[in-house]
Amino acid sequence: MRTRGAILLATVITGLALGYTVTNIGFGDYAELNRMFTFQDLRMFLSFAGAVVIIVCAFALLRVRRTPGRIHAGVIPGAVLFGTGWAISGGCPAIPIIQVASGYLPALITILGVIVGIRLCRWANARYFHLDRGSCGL
Amino acid sequence: MSTYWPWWAGAIGLALVTINHTLITDRSLGVSAAWDRVVHWRRERQLERMDEEFTDDQALAEALAAATAEHFGTDASAVPQEPCGKSQPLEADTEPAASERPSATSLRPAPLVTQAALLMSIFLGGFIAAVTSGRFHLRHDMGPGFRNLVTANPTTMIAVLFVGGVLVGFGTRLAGGCSSGHGLSGCGRLRPVSIVATAVFFGTAVAVSFLLWKVI
Repeated sequence: MRTRGAILLATVITGLALGYTVTNIGFGDYAELNRMFTFQDLRMFLSFAGAVVIIVCAFALLRVRRTPGRIHAGVIPGAVLFGTGWAISGGCPAIPIIQVASGYLPALITILGVIVGIRLCRWANARYFHLDRGSCGL
Repeated sequence: MSTYWPWWAGAIGLALVTINHTLITDRSLGVSAAWDRVVHWRRERQLERMDEEFTDDQALAEALAAATAEHFGTDASAVPQEPCGKSQPLEADTEPAASERPSATSLRPAPLVTQAALLMSIFLGGFIAAVTSGRFHLRHDMGPGFRNLVTANPTTMIAVLFVGGVLVGFGTRLAGGCSSGHGLSGCGRLRPVSIVATAVFFGTAVAVSFLLWKVI
């Protein structure tokens, strides 16, 4: 049932829908993002929070398996760095992709930064941190 | 220029994407994990090939141990006592951490090509949304919001975007997830680690955004 082809197709549909939805919510718009983070406009915040509430309810109803995760030493520092990066560049890992897709060419620089950061993290973890960071899925 | 979706439409859209993905693929959605594997495609490709070659479990276990040593450094004693996920996939049936992957087909993470396809289809989906809503136009800046709040200087803009990108890439991988992996999938499953990570990255982003708005 879950063959490689089926998973590929499902993932492509997910990607298309995610890109479409996130762009139409306005996550690629830096001004909107700053208005969300400074609570001047709760629209995008409610989109995110509302989605989480719907997902919690749906997963509970459908009895989707819980995936336990350890709170390791990298979670809080990593989240602080990510939050800072998101606020100044306007990009969580999917956002610069849709920014470029919306015509914001400088977001290519953000993507380059994300790639450098990811490589740097794997390198630094192997060399210094030795954390089992787990993964958010896939 | 049309307006953005109302909050409830956005919430339903994001929720549908996440729920569908989880139910159909039996994996949770995570963009930064996809990035991580695509960026390290050479190493990941090698692991995939090894995975295909090894039919007997012992050889696979040894290969995984070698990969784990490479991943966490060569100092074997530094590997955590209770590794979860990738480190111990062979104990999938007894380990609660791996109860997410019950069948042999989904024991492995989604193939590399699937994750590359995810990133490309996000681009295409974003492009379709931008064009159909009339918001698409090529520009060499990040819009008036960025200009007013962060910088109007193109060189500074490039530096800020690059540094921001590095922080995002480094931070998401260190924390083990991003706004989709921790924020949507993880919080949706009420994973404590995801709730902590989401609260911290959102809180930090709020603090930094206030600084940009009010102070700088």
